[in-house]
Amino acid sequence: MSSDLLDSEISTGLALEVRQVTKSYGNLVALDDVSFELRKGEAHALLGHNGAGKTTLVRTIAGQVVPDSGAVFVDGALVSLSSPRDAQVCGIAVVDQELTLLPALTVAENIHLGRRDARFFGAATDRNGKIASLLTRLGLAHIHPDTLVAELSLAERQLVEIARALSRDAQILLLDEPTATLSDVEIQRVFTVVRDLLTEGRSVIYVSHRLGEVLDLCDRVTVLRDGRRKATRPVAGMDRAGIVRLMLDEGAVEAARIPRREGNGDAPSVITARGLAAPQLFSLVDLTARAGEIVGIAGQIGSGASSVVRALAGLVPSCTGEVAVDGHPGSPLGTPIRSARAGIAFVSNDRKSEGLFLDKSITRNLVATRPRQTCRHSVVSAKRSRDLGRQLCALVGIDAKRAEDPVSSLSGGNQQKVFIGRCLEHPEVKVLLLDEPTRGVDVAGRAEIHNLVRRAAAGGAAVLFVSTEFDEVLDLADTVVTMFGGRVVATHRGSDIDASTILAETTHGSSVRGVA
Amino acid sequence: MTTRPGMARLARRSRRGGLPYVLLVVMLLVFVVLPVVAGQQVTSFNYYNLFQVFASLGLLSVALGLTMIAGEFDLSVLGTYAFAGLVAVKLGADDPVVGLLAALVLAALIGALQGALVAWFRLPSAAVSLGVYIALLGLTATISDSKTVPYNNLNVSDVLDRQYLEIFSLRSIIAILAVAAIAVTMTYTRFGRDVRAIGSDRRASLRIGVRVDSILVVLFVLSALLSALGGSMLALSLAAATPDPGFDPLIFALTAVLLGGVSLRGGTGTVLGIAAGILTLSLLRELLTVLATPTYVSSLATGGLLLVVAFAAAPGLNAWWLSMRRPTKRVAEPPSLSRVG
Repeated sequence: MSSDLLDSEISTGLALEVRQVTKSYGNLVALDDVSFELRKGEAHALLGHNGAGKTTLVRTIAGQVVPDSGAVFVDGALVSLSSPRDAQVCGIAVVDQELTLLPALTVAENIHLGRRDARFFGAATDRNGKIASLLTRLGLAHIHPDTLVAELSLAERQLVEIARALSRDAQILLLDEPTATLSDVEIQRVFTVVRDLLTEGRSVIYVSHRLGEVLDLCDRVTVLRDGRRKATRPVAGMDRAGIVRLMLDEGAVEAARIPRREGNGDAPSVITARGLAAPQLFSLVDLTARAGEIVGIAGQIGSGASSVVRALAGLVPSCTGEVAVDGHPGSPLGTPIRSARAGIAFVSNDRKSEGLFLDKSITRNLVATRPRQTCRHSVVSAKRSRDLGRQLCALVGIDAKRAEDPVSSLSGGNQQKVFIGRCLEHPEVKVLLLDEPTRGVDVAGRAEIHNLVRRAAAGGAAVLFVSTEFDEVLDLADTVVTMFGGRVVATHRGSDIDASTILAETTHGSSVRGVA
Repeated sequence: MTTRPGMARLARRSRRGGLPYVLLVVMLLVFVVLPVVAGQQVTSFNYYNLFQVFASLGLLSVALGLTMIAGEFDLSVLGTYAFAGLVAVKLGADDPVVGLLAALVLAALIGALQGALVAWFRLPSAAVSLGVYIALLGLTATISDSKTVPYNNLNVSDVLDRQYLEIFSLRSIIAILAVAAIAVTMTYTRFGRDVRAIGSDRRASLRIGVRVDSILVVLFVLSALLSALGGSMLALSLAAATPDPGFDPLIFALTAVLLGGVSLRGGTGTVLGIAAGILTLSLLRELLTVLATPTYVSSLATGGLLLVVAFAAAPGLNAWWLSMRRPTKRVAEPPSLSRVG
């Protein structure tokens, strides 16, 4: 089957084989006769943009989806993976794309949870220090196994999630976007642990949108496109561009490329913040955004960048400072309603719990912020909502036929487009804030989302976005603000943006702290 | 600065959910002090009464609270409570143990049926258990012809309610042991942890491999068993079973569960917390009896207490307080750049 593989290790045998699996949802064929082989001791990347079938394949292997036809073999034996528990029995441990930790339980309880060999008594304790040593390996030595997960930061939770999968002592580790919320140092720690597993002869399936990580960690890569396997290749000798070419049609790559815009330095400033501060998050932050300007705030996790936009959205009650929004008398700080009244729209980095009404229709989501446009004499007009919904669907590039489908039926990238679309063509929005606008979105979806953001700016809004990915900041921003340790390091306007400066300023704050 | 690991764990655990115990201690102090000030006498009989309430309404509360921790709502506990009392009196005419066992077995079947409907058919538990509650009331009315059924073996009542150590009875000791067993199960076993997990996030629990369905069935059986134990022992000790206990027992149970730190959203709360809630509420009732206050004062006090707890436990309260305070502060002294940081 793997005729394009001439590795000498081909005789080592397969840890997992997915053979000719097909799965459809209604008319949509998510997986079309897809096969996938995982060797023992290899790290195998699974790539493909949203809608390519990647998620369905991952869920099949994790026992969350039962395919219509096809078979799965683990260690040469035919298995039936009809529940997550079955997958566990077969020696497959999963780090889900979404966090599955339970905040009300302790770290130790979470790690033991769902183990098929868990004892009936003593389910809550770290019996022989195994958990503590696992946490230490992942750089979480400061966290006691009896800490409630509710008290952990997002990055720490992600690492605990990984610790749980590692604790299962599984032969096959399935990592689905495990690093989306981690910093570079933390990612390297995870990689070190994963490499140890590989040398023990265990296998890893690695799903990520970050191609750099794939090149760094993986031995082989399988690319899916439109529900089919496009190729399986050794990573050695491949580069980013090569992988992207496999993932996209050439036409799509061209269409996705948008020329950089020149910022307009003469436009009036729409939002000005001076001396923003919130205890333990950030201090002394000054920001300005002009009409039509896209300001990118670059910073690693914990730099305070995300907290700054959350504060402007009224979500950090302890934030103080002076904020003036053009044409609005009061300060937007303090509560989300105050912020919204000032004409600020916020796209959170967590669309599931802070953004979309998942079980409501795409139209309902798109018009949710527009009571004035959809009402006639204070009564909601179904016709106006429908028309506006269609119009906005067209704007964000979603088939109008799906306008009445629930948002949850869309892929992650399309959900994000709906989330952003809610703030577009909105007469009351003067400032658009975005926190990680393309987290977990593939290359093509990302280009589309960037276009939407540019469109908002072209319409006269001031845009502020936060990203931990420098490529994104460089692609999208007219003005780049770098942050480190809760302070602004520098502000770069127009042409003096350059990648190495941004990287230096956001990772080595100590050398430039004096600037702030 | 080394503490014993067990102590450290206890400290870490009690950081959250300490409110029910604080409340219990405060209420106990009030119970001891207020009658003295008012010139009334608290006797050991008042404490005995406290545990007698624990043996009936307390078990009902734990039954309700268990399903609430798992994010479900078992309204049928009240029906099971009445039904089990009737069964114990009717079938236990010759031997009370037979009556008690019959009541428990039938209750377990009712619980299993509800659990199966909720777990396997994904029916909402509030609707299913409300239906079962109403059906059970119909059943008890049919069996008893809507009249209180007397129990002629008065010796049983004597044995169940005889005072031990001044403040306990056989009935309250059985109830306390049952609740203790449940508390240990919920705190220290895989089952208890899984119950809290499915109450906290059911989808995530499923994905990790928790057996959500079977746990729900067992939980509904446990809930039915506890309420049946409370109801049947009460009927035997009163030597009478009533076909319809009204809504008061359920109101008591729900109040005690909420005082005990269980959230309506599930996932939080402990059996010990519920026990503290039950005792707090019983103390309040007993206190008002000692002071001979009219019923409406009792209602006012109970309602007030619940509101205070709801406020104190509200997670958004802190944020709300901060945001309410901010504007006045800003007008008074806008922060200048040199002062911040």
